[in-house]
Order: sequence, then structure tokens, then C-alpha cells
Amino acid sequence: MTRQTLPNTKPIMCKIIKKEEECEDTFTFLLEIPVKVQGAKPGQFIMLWVPGVDEFPIGIAGFENNVLEIGIAKMGKGTEALLKKEVGDYLGIRGFYGKQFQVPREGEVNHLLIGGGFGMTPLKMLTTTLIKQEDKQEIHVFEGARTKSRLMYLEWFQNLHDAGKLVFHACTDDGSYGYKGYPTVDLEKFLQEARGSSIFYVAGPERMMKVIFDIGKKYDTVIDMQMSLADRYMRCGFGVCSYCAVDPTGWRICVDGPIFNTKQLEQITDFGVYKRLETGEKERI
Amino acid sequence: MSFETFIGSIEIRNPLILASGVLGTTYSTLQRAYTAGLGAVITKSIGPRSRSGNPNPSVFALQDIRSLINSVGLANPGYQSFRHDIEQLVKSETPTIVSIFGENQTEFSEVLDGLKDLNILGFEVNLSCPNTDKGGSQIGTDPDTVFNIVKTLKSKTDLPLWIKLTPNVSDIVEIANAAVKGGCDAIVAINTLKAMVIDIQTKQPILGFKRGGLSGSAIKPIGIRYIYDLYESFKDKIPIIGVGGISKGEDVVEYLLAGATAVEIGSAIGIAYPENMIRFITMKIKKYMQEHNYSSIGEITGGAHK
Repeated sequence: MTRQTLPNTKPIMCKIIKKEEECEDTFTFLLEIPVKVQGAKPGQFIMLWVPGVDEFPIGIAGFENNVLEIGIAKMGKGTEALLKKEVGDYLGIRGFYGKQFQVPREGEVNHLLIGGGFGMTPLKMLTTTLIKQEDKQEIHVFEGARTKSRLMYLEWFQNLHDAGKLVFHACTDDGSYGYKGYPTVDLEKFLQEARGSSIFYVAGPERMMKVIFDIGKKYDTVIDMQMSLADRYMRCGFGVCSYCAVDPTGWRICVDGPIFNTKQLEQITDFGVYKRLETGEKERI
Repeated sequence: MSFETFIGSIEIRNPLILASGVLGTTYSTLQRAYTAGLGAVITKSIGPRSRSGNPNPSVFALQDIRSLINSVGLANPGYQSFRHDIEQLVKSETPTIVSIFGENQTEFSEVLDGLKDLNILGFEVNLSCPNTDKGGSQIGTDPDTVFNIVKTLKSKTDLPLWIKLTPNVSDIVEIANAAVKGGCDAIVAINTLKAMVIDIQTKQPILGFKRGGLSGSAIKPIGIRYIYDLYESFKDKIPIIGVGGISKGEDVVEYLLAGATAVEIGSAIGIAYPENMIRFITMKIKKYMQEHNYSSIGEITGGAHK
């Protein structure tokens, strides 16, 4: 029996079937899910349990034939322990949680995927979905990092660019790859010259997303901006604990998000300003 | 047909109250729960200082028994920081009960003193969290300690004090008796049951704190039994609020028949969209009242004691 999604229950133990270095300090893991399941959707996340150490939300980079792809960089004790795991070891997953990116089924629109760091994981999965769509719409990916060795999925995006499947706009703070500067530079250039309307799909540090949101607001041609607020402290992942909730709407990132659209983001006064700690206290981003 | 419910001196628009620990970390989720149709909301348990609680995993579902296990461990921002959230709730006229905890009488008093000037419905005193090394349910298992804490807190405020009891004792009536003698205004039962889940692949407990508390459908028959026992002892002396495993209108009715004046709903409301769940529950209660010729919630209370 193939399930639509995983049951929401205790961590489901998955074997690591592949581990490889993606870029500096960052590894890709492929996990084999023992339950036959149809699919994770771009923008959704899992709660990843490193047995005996920690559990945290993590974006999904790919899902095919019951194999889940995630990208991990060293961030804290949980990810540090995780990076020591090898092929054959087990990790627990709960999910797939949250809402997905909403891609319009029809109509002429430019899909603009903008991200940095970990944000590239859901954007990788979204890219896979978009390039499969029969309706050929323009896809542009804007990725920024400190330096070339920190650009996540560089080769993957560059290959798709070379194959004419999308346009890859890479940039680095030090100019070691792409142009020197932030993704916003090329993004604005694109918006000034672009024909037709555009949709943003953004994932990355929240301050960066807020800057991009403010840019998007200036252009009437930007018909929607969908941003992932998944990079927040979570306990349950399915709506009970509310440690990820945003004010003043009371939306829980894990079930009401993590993808929010322009209309929703406008109502979230916490967006780009405050996040919540594990005590429930707010901290400036 | 009237849904208004009286819990001692408090009147709320219906008997459905949001249980502590669910959707209770910020004013906005609490407001949302109230707007969705509840009678009142209870905040996350607030202590004297900010506290990170236990490491993750600290909450997950057990689908086969429609339940949750958690070991959040009283993570909270501390009363000074949480005051702002309560003020927002008061401003928006959300009927709010503040859940408080401490490791000892002094800490309970400090939290109560720090919040009692706010225009809230009352306090729920959490004597029963199973997920901490100190305080929590330890405090709630000793009748003398319970009596002393309740008496002290009662002397400090005119606001109603509800005492939330742990089921992890051999005689809940004895503990409830101590709380009643101390002067509490309502008894709330039950908090979560001590529980654990072990992963057989890696051979270790899954929760970061190893041990946790069980809530959800699996504990409903236990809650019903406790409420039934408590009602036999206290009947008209003090209101009893039933909590544990409610997810449907029928569950609410069952608790009322066992002797509850009102009920708290936790796990189920958090998992679903509160708006939908409360609508379904309310519809079902209404239907039951029509079929059984009840005109008010109060008439149902204790109906199973014949």
C-alpha cells in the first residue's frame, strides 16, 4: 500500500544509503524511507531525529522512489552528531510537515527562486518540480553565498543552466564565483527588464528574505511572493506546541506555513524582526 | 438551550477551555483559540524565570493510540516577560486563566504576586507536570505540600485558584481534599500520565528527556474514572474540571456526566485546526442536548451518578 504521506507518529527510522560532501562543511544525505509513500512536496519539511542527541526541522531537497534527500551543514550539536553518521546508520524522521510552495498551474509567469545557505534545499526540490512542468515558463535561480565553496548545489544548478533548463544567477561576497555582491542586485536588474509577471519563491536567512520582500513590493509585475519561514525553533512540527507561532496572527509556522504568501507576510509583524527561542521568548533577528 | 457555564464565580460562554501547554506560548495563538469558539483559554505554565525545558524530541504523536507523548518540561519565558502577552489577551477581552508553576511555595508566590494585578479570570496552579527533575508532579503528590501552597496562594489573591492534579498518585481524592481544605476554587484533573517510548532499532528512549507524559485519546477512560471518583467525594462542594483525551463532542458529554462542570481540551485542538474542531464539538453537544432534553450544560453534570 502506498500512502499519500507519512503517518504523523513517532520517528520513522530510515537507513542512510548515501552521504556525500555537497560544498564546504555541507553534506547531502539520502535516506531510504521504509514506508511506501507518495510524496513530499517542495517547501515541506521533516523533523529529523539524531538518536540520543537532538531533533530539529530540516528542509527537503528531493524525494524520489521512497528516497529522501536532505542537505546538512554544521550548525549545532545535533547537526555535528549527524555529520558523523555514515551509510548504514539510522536516522528518525517525522513529517512530511507544512504547506508547499504554490505554483500556478497555467499562465505566463516568470518563476524566480531566490535563496542562500540552507534555503537552497527546498528551492532545489521546487526546481525539480518546475522543470518537469510541460508548460514552459521561465525559471530563474538567484543564489548567493560568502564564497564559491559555500554555494550549495552549484554544479547541479550550473548544469541545468548549461542545458538551457533555467537561468542561474550566482553571486558571492568575494567574487570567487558569479558576480560580486548579493542576489538582490541581479534580481532587481531582472525585474527592471523583465516582461510579464513574476512570482518569487524565497528561502534563506529571514533578514535576507525581508529585504527581498521589500524589493518585490516595489514592482507591480511581482504578483506573489512565497517565502519559507521554516528556519525557526520547533518542538512538535504539527501544530500543538506553538513555539514556532508568529504574532499577531497566531499562525504556526509548522502547519499554517512554513510557506507564506505576500498577503500573509504583510500581516506577520514578526517577519524579519523577531523569532522565538526555545523558552518562548522573542529575540530580534 | 444555553451553553453558558458557571465555574464557581466565573461565567464562561461555553464549557470548552483550552488546556495549558497547547497553543499557549504566545498571546496570538491563545486569541486565535478563543476566537475559534472556546469558552476560555489557559496559558502555558509560567514560572519565575525563563526556562528552556528539555531537549528535543520533546513532543510527538502516537498515531496508533491517537495520543501524544511530551517532555517539554515547563519551557517558558518567565512571568516578567510573559506579562506582555497576558496584557494583550486582557486588552482583546480574551477570558484567560494563567497557569503557574514553581519548584516550591516561594516560587509559586513570586509568580502569582507578579501577575495578580492583571485583569484575568484566575490562576490554574500546575502541581502536576511530570517532566521535570524538581517541582512539578513531586509537589502534587504530597497532601501537606498541596495544602500549604494552596493556602498561601489563596491568602494573596481574591482571584479564583484552580488546582491541576496529577493522575500519578495512588489516591487522587486525598490530594484533592488537601487542595479543597487549602481553599481552592476548582479542581482540574488530570494532567498527563507518566510514559515512555523506546525505539527498538537504536535501542533508546526517543524523548530527549527519556521520560514523558501521555495525553490524548488513550488517557480518556482514566480521566473519566478520576472525575467520577472526585465527583463522588466533592459533588456540590467544588467545581471539577475534566481534562484528558477529549477530541469529540461525545467525549465532552462523557466528562460532564462523570461530574465535570467544564472541560479542557489540549492535544486534539492543537493537532487539528482549532476552528474546525471546536465547531464539530459544539454541534455534537447541541445535538446531544436536544436528544436528551437538556436546556443547560449544568444539568448534564454528574448525570452518570445515580
